[in-house]
Amino acid sequence: MDNNNIPPAEPSGGESDRQHDEPLATRGQVVAKGVALGLGLAALSLGRQSGRAQAAASTGGPHLDPTANMSWEGWDNPQLQVQDGWEKWQTILNPEHLPIYHDQFEKIDVARPRHHWVMVIDLRKCVGCQSCTVACKSENNVPLGVYRTWVDVYQEGRTVPDPAGDIVVDGRRYQMDVNVMNVPKLCNHCDDPPCVEVCPVKATYKRQDGIVLVDPEVCIGCGTCINACPYGARYMNPVSHTADKCTFCVERVDQGLLPACVLSCVGRARVFGDANDPQSDVSRLLADYPHVVRHADLGTEPQVFYIGMSGEIATADDPDIQHMVFTYTSNANSIAATD
Amino acid sequence: MPLDTTPLVGLEHVYWGILIVIYPYLSGLVAGSFIVGSLAKVFGAKKFEPLAKISVMVTLAFLLVAAMAPLADARQPSRFLELYSRPHVPYAPMGLFTLIWTTYVLLVLVETYFIFRVDNIYLATHAAGWRQTWHRWLTLGSRDTSDATQRRDHTVLVVLAAIGIFLAFAFHGYIGFIFGALKARYLWSNPLMMPLFIVSAIVSGIALMILAYVGIQGGLVGRKTLNTEILDGLAKLLMWVIFVDLFLDIVELLNSSVSAYTNEAVYEGFHTIFMGGPLTFMYWGLQLGCLILGMMLTFFRRLRQSPLWASLTAFVVLISVFAMRYDTVIGGQLQPKVSQGLVAYALPWLGRDSVQTAVGIFGIVVLLLSLQLLLLPWESTWIAVWARGRGRMAKNEEAPQ
Repeated sequence: MDNNNIPPAEPSGGESDRQHDEPLATRGQVVAKGVALGLGLAALSLGRQSGRAQAAASTGGPHLDPTANMSWEGWDNPQLQVQDGWEKWQTILNPEHLPIYHDQFEKIDVARPRHHWVMVIDLRKCVGCQSCTVACKSENNVPLGVYRTWVDVYQEGRTVPDPAGDIVVDGRRYQMDVNVMNVPKLCNHCDDPPCVEVCPVKATYKRQDGIVLVDPEVCIGCGTCINACPYGARYMNPVSHTADKCTFCVERVDQGLLPACVLSCVGRARVFGDANDPQSDVSRLLADYPHVVRHADLGTEPQVFYIGMSGEIATADDPDIQHMVFTYTSNANSIAATD
Repeated sequence: MPLDTTPLVGLEHVYWGILIVIYPYLSGLVAGSFIVGSLAKVFGAKKFEPLAKISVMVTLAFLLVAAMAPLADARQPSRFLELYSRPHVPYAPMGLFTLIWTTYVLLVLVETYFIFRVDNIYLATHAAGWRQTWHRWLTLGSRDTSDATQRRDHTVLVVLAAIGIFLAFAFHGYIGFIFGALKARYLWSNPLMMPLFIVSAIVSGIALMILAYVGIQGGLVGRKTLNTEILDGLAKLLMWVIFVDLFLDIVELLNSSVSAYTNEAVYEGFHTIFMGGPLTFMYWGLQLGCLILGMMLTFFRRLRQSPLWASLTAFVVLISVFAMRYDTVIGGQLQPKVSQGLVAYALPWLGRDSVQTAVGIFGIVVLLLSLQLLLLPWESTWIAVWARGRGRMAKNEEAPQ
């Protein structure tokens, strides 16, 4: 443990192992946040019952009006304590005014940042339940039709004829020669993010602790970063009309909490932590198990690592090798390019 | 700002639609027409001298609108000032494009001033009414029409044209680079993107100048004033640039469509989209077919010298270049990044990023060009009418003798 190195009052120490013996947020704070969140969700569901989110926004004052409040949360913000600074997204997203980087990311290493947040996803444990998808949408108020994280389901191999097989169809016997793989996907918070470099107004940036964020008050919504992301992790927020993406739940991480998807993962397939801390879960997992990243060939240095991922899935989505049987991203398949 | 109600069914969309298609198209027309207008000054091709004023007006009209298309495509266009105030040099292609565009606008405005200066001074002293005020204003106080100042004007114009040709290449090459710089899109991430865009820009610009010459000079001044030498020269120039464009197209085809020569992703994307996919006709029929047809039409001297056939050739070539922009911008985004199959795209007729917006953008170009034709002294017979039109101003504007 590196408790000696970090002052206890420092608010952004969110290593998962540290939470067990020394929770940074006091119990009262956590309870207050839970109550606030619950009230917010209740308000949200009431808004849904009344018919339209827009109607709820217009009755809820400027705070709930998405045209007046272009905060990172998007729309229908829960009624959090405004005087606590919840309206100032700069304070929320970057409480210590960490240095941010728009290019020359190699300087981050030179600056010896205190934390480097990464995620390790153990595909052997993922059951494809989509709890993380739901938790993310709930936590971050992600609008309908877009996702910050989702779980794609791949099937490798085929059901092949086999005289000794246990599947009988029309009197013929088959054997499953199939490997099903659930692949949670999210922003990789790359160490060399192409999306950040191409932004013409530098609305998006990489924080010194590794998290890639978008400033919704500067973004002009040109879509360059969305096209530049090889992982399809960015989308155009239909409410704020700006580019949006996974933030690693930065407002939670800064308070010493885990991202919502990690907290809700039923199989504990998602592990979040500080790669700069050699004792953290992520560091030990990465040291002990072989792991891959998606599209290592593109040189983006992704910081979301997968244990137990097939190399084909990591590089190309080739239907001849693996067949995507379920995805939120398939808006299309309208043209029979797949079999 | 209303909620965006367009159906969002998945993560992958064609984010850059028809507006980003016409953005490089318009910019290409700018770059090409500017280069044609500069031929006389920089490369000494004196026979193109009568094109200079038309070329400057066409360039200015398209240039002012060229940046409007991506701005209309951006979801938060009111924040455009951020493009000037944020530190985006040197890594953001679209940011650098903004700077090049601004420089280009300033350069063309200066060029417009110098190219019309003498005629504006003449009208400022000889015309009457609002037109006198207007042209007096356009002279910016200059009254000197001596030979020395006219020689100085010419020198300035030559220097501006030389810098402008460099800027035209930077301007349009950088648009190619906006696509070429995105390594996530396999069909875009291609070093050919920059030369391909520049050469097709010159092709489309020459074709536009043929249309503009026939339409503006022949249509507004008189068919008899059309110089077949100029038409012939432009069409011949078109032929040579199409050779280069076709060469680059073939290089791209070879590099994308043969599995032994390229990587799996490029090959798969090219085949599923352009060879049997949704853009097959757009690529083979329009982009390549129309280009080859246009090139063949330029082989015949009689067709090159006929205003009708030269315009037809130019029109066919313009269709080809538009198809090239469409294939590049839309085609590149039809290949999914994280899912399988193809991304669906249907061009909407109305609304944001639709046929309606595209027609509107071209409508603004026509409006700007018409305004310039009415407000700038580009034609000697019109100048004579405007100068004589004391008292009964504006009546004779559109009916020159």
